[in-house]
Amino acid sequence: MASQPPIPGRRYDLTAALDDRVRALCAAPPRQGDLAHPIHAYLGALAAMPAPIGDFSRNLGLAFDAGPVLGECRLSFPGRLRVGQAYDATVEVLDLTRKPSRRFGQADHLALAITLSDQAGPASVLQFRMITPVVADD
Amino acid sequence: MTDRQDETGWSFGPVSGPDMAEWCALLRDDNTIHLRREAAEAAGFGPRRVNPGPANLAYVISAAMAAHPQAEFAEIAAFFADNVFEGDRLAARLTPEPGGALYAEGRGAPVLRVQFSFKEHD
Repeated sequence: MASQPPIPGRRYDLTAALDDRVRALCAAPPRQGDLAHPIHAYLGALAAMPAPIGDFSRNLGLAFDAGPVLGECRLSFPGRLRVGQAYDATVEVLDLTRKPSRRFGQADHLALAITLSDQAGPASVLQFRMITPVVADD
Repeated sequence: MTDRQDETGWSFGPVSGPDMAEWCALLRDDNTIHLRREAAEAAGFGPRRVNPGPANLAYVISAAMAAHPQAEFAEIAAFFADNVFEGDRLAARLTPEPGGALYAEGRGAPVLRVQFSFKEHD
């Protein structure tokens, strides 16, 4: 599948309270200054997709309800994710390929890139590959 | 989620179903293998709910943040080799590269390998 043009997503409001809660969930040290936990590059990316990842995947024809898993991901930080800042998301479908799978027989590999940007430009980029089983009647 | 640092690394868990549901809400992810045991079983994962992958990554990042409190991440690459299930106790081990891995108690191979690079500051 050829790469598609970026799709505008929603806004991710990265509040101090949200960052505090995320840090509690993953036993992170206290925040230093206004720098948010790096996992917000992932959380914000999915939260600010134009549709939830399940609906987005189903719209691409994937059997999301069969239980996809995460294969790999890369978070990069051309800027900074800060609390008290809102970020706009853009989503890019990099690849969608059906492959043989030891676990599932066949699986669809979806690669996405999601950028969170503020006024200064891109702050974080998430690239990930999600592996979705191909069900018999798919 | 509680954590503990000892001479060998950081420990997390046990992973709880309510925490998984909270991660899913944050991610807007309705993948039922994270939310319902019967869905996990039907999908071939066994009788326990599956922890969302980004949560597993967050534990290792947190361990690296504690070990490098002044560092700012430039890039984080993660390779998910296996799943984490509710009730699992986890251990993060950091490496000098810099990087790290996440282990589930009772399993020899890591469930997740992570490589980091940090920004250089003046």
